[in-house]
Amino acid sequence: MDEGIKRTIKEYILKEFLPGERPDALGDSTPLVSGGILDSIATLKLVAFLEERYEIRLEAHEASAENLNTIEEIARRVQSKKG
Amino acid sequence: MNFSLTEEQKTLRESIVRFARNELNEDVVERDRTQTFRRDLWTKCGEMGILGLPIPEEYGGSGLDPFSTAIALEALGYGCGDAGLVFSISAHLLPCVVPIGMFGAEEQKRRLLPDLCGGKRIAANAMTGPGTGSDAFGMKKRAVRDGKGFRLTGTKMFCSNGPIADLAVVFAVTDPEKGYHGGITTFLVEKETEGFRASQKFEKMGLRTSPIGELVLENAFVSEDAVLGGVGGGAAVFAHSMDWERILLFATHVGTMERLLEKAVEYARTRTQFGQPIGKFQAVAHKIADMKVRLEAARLLVYRSAWKLGEKKSVSMDASITKLFVSESLLETALDTVQVLGGYGFMTEYEVERALRDAIGSTIYSGTSEMQRNIIARWLGL
Repeated sequence: MDEGIKRTIKEYILKEFLPGERPDALGDSTPLVSGGILDSIATLKLVAFLEERYEIRLEAHEASAENLNTIEEIARRVQSKKG
Repeated sequence: MNFSLTEEQKTLRESIVRFARNELNEDVVERDRTQTFRRDLWTKCGEMGILGLPIPEEYGGSGLDPFSTAIALEALGYGCGDAGLVFSISAHLLPCVVPIGMFGAEEQKRRLLPDLCGGKRIAANAMTGPGTGSDAFGMKKRAVRDGKGFRLTGTKMFCSNGPIADLAVVFAVTDPEKGYHGGITTFLVEKETEGFRASQKFEKMGLRTSPIGELVLENAFVSEDAVLGGVGGGAAVFAHSMDWERILLFATHVGTMERLLEKAVEYARTRTQFGQPIGKFQAVAHKIADMKVRLEAARLLVYRSAWKLGEKKSVSMDASITKLFVSESLLETALDTVQVLGGYGFMTEYEVERALRDAIGSTIYSGTSEMQRNIIARWLGL
């Protein structure tokens, strides 16, 4: 797993959705969707960020809780898309 | 960004304006009164290529980019005085035909798009449940796995084109545990499906030539190939549909605003009171000047957002800004046009009171103004 991808995603989530939160409060396995950090618009923003930052395209069914619920899962999805 | 129209776009605009004026405006006052949808006009729009503007030609569409689609729809809104018909066309094209073109499997596109683009079949988007509206995903419709397909149960309210639809794009919950993210799936449900029927028809204040009603699903079985965008992909399909709808449906309203402005200017230059045209009075002139400002600002927003759609960048916030501004501008312009025309504006035959009734829905459908402001605020990180 590319630690750089995880770090970038974590920084983005902290900046956009958890302003003022301590970085150590957000772990690689913190539940983002089921934990209420990512709602519908936050997910749109995150997907847009990932697609632009990593030049990938996430299909409709890929923007689901299974793929976006933790930083670990998001990073894995990004890495598999990057090839 | 260069929004100068190419020769092709100018020709496209002129041909649609001419077509709409010549073919679509007959008996609109009476059709509005009787809530009559004219299927023959729909067929003509299909033959003209309007029902599949951005769909590739290989599937029966016109193959236009989103910006050219905006030009075409603006021309339709300008030339066609039947806002209900324009609305029905938009409700068919933007949240139904476009997502099939964007998310459909090859077989779905080949089987469905030619007739939808050609005017032989009509589509409806079934999103709103009886207890939902702005909270679109608080839906109760369920889709339960059954062998090689799903059984759909639930009611969809306020389905534009519902009473006349041959195909419905239905959103239903396939996994309540996941909720919005991965728990909603889009299904393409055809009219002939057992357990699927159009129910109650509603009467509206405006857009009366556009039929609207309930669609009911009672344990309706659809096979796996009715799924659009993959199981669990409903949220993304909906988001993309809304981007297109909130930009391109509102392109038609830019055309309407231009038509109303021209009407107000013409009246203000020829109607005299106290020995001079009423346009010479500052109170009237300023009202009309504001109409012009709103029109040009609305047009720029639509053009820029449509251009962004073509660039495949995220356009969700742009779509909400466009939708909010254009709808509120249209409403204000329609109200001001009635005021400028005074007593005549209040009369049915001048076709301005109808424009006002038609405009009122625009701040409600496709997400209310309040919801657009919520979305914009969320994108700003608030």
